[in-house]
Amino acid sequence: MRGAKRIAFMSVLTAAALIVFIIEAQIPPIVPVPGVKLGLANIITLVAMYLLSRKEAGLVLLMRIILGAVFAGSPSSFLFSAFGGLLAYAVMCALKGPVPENRMWLISIIAAVAHNLGQMIVCVLVVKTPGILVYLPLLIVSGILTGAFTGVAAMYLVRAIRKIKL
Amino acid sequence: MSTKKIILLLAAVVVICLAVWFAFVLFAPAGTIAVISIDGVEYKRIDLSRVKEPYELQIETEYGRNTVLVERGAISVSSADCPDKICVFQGRLTEAGLPIICMPHRLIIWIEGGDTDAWS
Repeated sequence: MRGAKRIAFMSVLTAAALIVFIIEAQIPPIVPVPGVKLGLANIITLVAMYLLSRKEAGLVLLMRIILGAVFAGSPSSFLFSAFGGLLAYAVMCALKGPVPENRMWLISIIAAVAHNLGQMIVCVLVVKTPGILVYLPLLIVSGILTGAFTGVAAMYLVRAIRKIKL
Repeated sequence: MSTKKIILLLAAVVVICLAVWFAFVLFAPAGTIAVISIDGVEYKRIDLSRVKEPYELQIETEYGRNTVLVERGAISVSSADCPDKICVFQGRLTEAGLPIICMPHRLIIWIEGGDTDAWS
């Protein structure tokens, strides 16, 4: 993919991530634990990471976080989302090379756990209450489970998009 | 590493985290003082053992609005104007339990153990 096609594809990915993010925000929490969510928009970040480049995936993620805060969040949720997203992105960038593509789920798991850790760190710093760290073990477990799910979903999506030869 | 080993390792992490979690739940500090804090600053302390009639507390800040229901021995968030409403879904916090958190509004409610007379 080159030129305008590439930019168009990035825009489509950004739009898809934003829609998934907004729809997910409307669903009531599955478990009443703060910070636990499926993180479906992460599927798109992974797809961008594998079908485009690290830099372009970063742009798609950044646009989704900014637009997501505008349409479905608040200024403070932007802060948590951005820091968690940044950590997850750093993990994906670092592991994309050494981990083979058929183990995308593993990258996704580590990125999801990193996202939850980042979010927790910002929360503790913002509310200055270390007591909320009691939720950390559950957030690690939820990161592993949701990361596995989004990772497998992203792997199938990458294969499907490759087949249609854009 | 083989896929099997990775999955075993992840399963081990899950089991350890769940064990730590249950330890937190089992050994949560028991007490009757509910502390409400907003943005890291203590807002109110309520001795739940001395509540006679249930009442509602309206908390409005620059971040948003939460309605806190105070009952004898329990405290909960009955409504909030945040998008996720996790604080409402967390239900009632009784004498021992894990903190209620409303992250978008930077509101935390937790139970503090110890001497109940000091704050009456």
